[in-house]
Amino acid sequence: MAAEEKWNDWAWKPHSAADQAGDKDSCILLGQQLEEPGRFAYAALCGISLAWLFPEKEQSSFRIEFIEGLVKWLDLPDAVLSAMTAFASGLGGEGTETFAQILLKDPILKDNPVVITQDLVSFSLKDGYYDARARVLISHITWLLRIPLEELEALEESLLESLKEQKEEESETAEVSRKKKERRKKLKRYLLIGLATVGGGTVIGLTGGLAAPLVAAGAATIIGSAGAAALGSTAGIAIMASLFGAAGAGLTGYKMKKRVGAIEEFEFLPLTEGKQLHITIAITGWLCTGRYGSFTAPWSSMLQSSEQYCLAWESKYLMELGNALDSLLNGFVNMMAQEALKFTVLSGIVTALTWPASLLTVASVIDNPWGVCLHRSAEVGKHLAHILLSRQQGKRPVTLIGFSLGARVIYFCLQEMAQEKDSQGIIEDVVLLGAPVEGEAKYWKAITKVVSGRIINGFCRGDWLLGFVYRTSSVQLNVAGLQPVDLDDRRMVNVDLSSVVSGHLDYMKQMDTILKAVGIKTKECRLKEKGSARLFAPPAKKTPQAAGSEARGEESAVRDEDAADGGHWSWEPMDSPDSLDTSRDGARPCLSLPTGTP
Amino acid sequence: MDEDVLTTLKILIIGESGVGKSSLLLRFTDDTFDPELAATIGVDFKVKTISVDGNKAKLAIWDTAGQERFRTLTPSYYRGAQGVILVYDVTRRDTFVKLDNWLNELETYCTRNDIVKMLVGNKIDKENREVDRNEGLKFARKHSMLFIEASAKTCDGVQCAFEELVEKIIQTPGLWESESQNRGVKLSNKEEGYGGGACGGYCSML
Repeated sequence: MAAEEKWNDWAWKPHSAADQAGDKDSCILLGQQLEEPGRFAYAALCGISLAWLFPEKEQSSFRIEFIEGLVKWLDLPDAVLSAMTAFASGLGGEGTETFAQILLKDPILKDNPVVITQDLVSFSLKDGYYDARARVLISHITWLLRIPLEELEALEESLLESLKEQKEEESETAEVSRKKKERRKKLKRYLLIGLATVGGGTVIGLTGGLAAPLVAAGAATIIGSAGAAALGSTAGIAIMASLFGAAGAGLTGYKMKKRVGAIEEFEFLPLTEGKQLHITIAITGWLCTGRYGSFTAPWSSMLQSSEQYCLAWESKYLMELGNALDSLLNGFVNMMAQEALKFTVLSGIVTALTWPASLLTVASVIDNPWGVCLHRSAEVGKHLAHILLSRQQGKRPVTLIGFSLGARVIYFCLQEMAQEKDSQGIIEDVVLLGAPVEGEAKYWKAITKVVSGRIINGFCRGDWLLGFVYRTSSVQLNVAGLQPVDLDDRRMVNVDLSSVVSGHLDYMKQMDTILKAVGIKTKECRLKEKGSARLFAPPAKKTPQAAGSEARGEESAVRDEDAADGGHWSWEPMDSPDSLDTSRDGARPCLSLPTGTP
Repeated sequence: MDEDVLTTLKILIIGESGVGKSSLLLRFTDDTFDPELAATIGVDFKVKTISVDGNKAKLAIWDTAGQERFRTLTPSYYRGAQGVILVYDVTRRDTFVKLDNWLNELETYCTRNDIVKMLVGNKIDKENREVDRNEGLKFARKHSMLFIEASAKTCDGVQCAFEELVEKIIQTPGLWESESQNRGVKLSNKEEGYGGGACGGYCSML
């Protein structure tokens, strides 16, 4: 908590600012404290980054709107608009480094450049809509200013924290002024989004799993910081409700009202207890009896966001498939045959039509459940797309991660979204592991439209099982899960997992290592980072747990130590398990926070 | 994008505060003049397509702020520029004296050494001239720049300044060919020499 308190001290200045927060004039936005050249460089840096991140034509309205809004937000004269628009259209990109340097040398920013990040978050949230593209931009700017990325997450968390805490600390004067303000504004809008009045405070009864138990007593008084106060002054409650899904129930409350198409089961299970301004949805590829009998099992170590869900879908069929896969590899086909199969499949001699008869026994076991699940995963993906499009999850960025057929669900979800309007700015990153989908770049091009951050394709060249089961759907072995997707886009990241994954079943068993290899945060790395953030704090009691969590897959080892409560963590994509091992022992010092919390 | 545009050129306008950089640009792009023009914040940007010697060139013009407080921003615009217009005020000797500093900065931050430079003595409509035309000419020659005297107010020489600059850039294919090759334009037939006579004696080709 020490780190977090520090945060609150300088970032949100809770008390003094909170008292006056209702009065907009008294709020000096951090961005506006900058001198004009600083503000100019700030906006220019955003403009150039927008052009770099989202050069597509269909994104031009987002770029222009964002930069125009920012110019207003920063109180820059309209005269700069033409230059800013030029920056946002891809001109003048050479200046990035200079602008970043100017900002870093600015007397106000020199000691904590993170106020830029903070200001951008406030700006992005002010309309109650945390666009995934905005978050990608903020991450990029944060990176350009050499601020560790965990500061962004810490900031988002402290924003949520202060929402919860300051409700209790609300002073009487502030309460009076807030009430006056609220009365003036008429609560009509709030009532529309399901507001209940309890005692003196206004409480949004966001029940259900996904929606935050937010007590939004007029965000102006709750969020102490000057930056966030401006956020609050524009109908804070509506903003927060919008961010977290005004419908209240959110994802976990989502129930299929009627059978959709052929889908029999579709439900979101919470993986973590926390709340965040961005969420992660994990999708499991199959189930098998025993340890991996539940949808949540493979994801026990993942901690990409402190708010994570797991999609439960078609368990009956996935269980059938899993057991078929299992029996295939453990007994039904002996080791020798497996090797022969592997060789046959991967050599590419055979095509779908000319499989040797000796393999047909294998095929008979696996083909039916696979075919059923293949079909259903596409249906489920389309359904997921429509849920995300209808914003059941609230207006905040979503990261999707799935393996095997779960990756196929994601792929079809993205394809479906790409065909719809207003599908941009919802998805932040996607991670597809061992995906049984076509691997040709032209099919993947469409999904760049809906993904704001990265498209990570984790593949394994030696995954003969995937090659074999996918054979009927594709004449050639052009499967994303077997090879890199050759798409020329800054979003596309191909990760060769061959050293981690020796067979398709490893995607489930080695998930912890895979997650690290593709740069998804896990509990272990969060704990480690936490430890480093507290080098100067009371002795890190977490260390034993961090060590304990090395036994990967141990579901409950670190579960209680929910690292999401505001600790600092670092995001470091790691290439191979070897590097993981070394960093586990030796990387602690490099994770210490260089700046930001003076 | 227009098909017949030969190339897009990045032009930069620099010089001391108040010498009339923005006014020159405004006169060139919009053919207007505002005596009360506010000081530029950071940088201004305008696009104009002009035709020189039968070649259409799209000019992306970055008009920098002259004020000292924005000086830190200027280095970011130099990179990749093909032409630069250096402006001084003929009624203020100090703006002429400071030209050396600007040339130094240009040399420091500019990414190419064959950038085409144009020296413009602005405000020749005013009575109280402090810098003689010959002085400007001499300075320009010394630093191998093009030279012209102009007045944004009366429109004198403004068009010429830009046209001469573009013409010189186009005559220096190394400056812009990499860009145009991407669009499949052949360079060979654009090489015809062209004397600097179009501007009625204002320009000195050096």
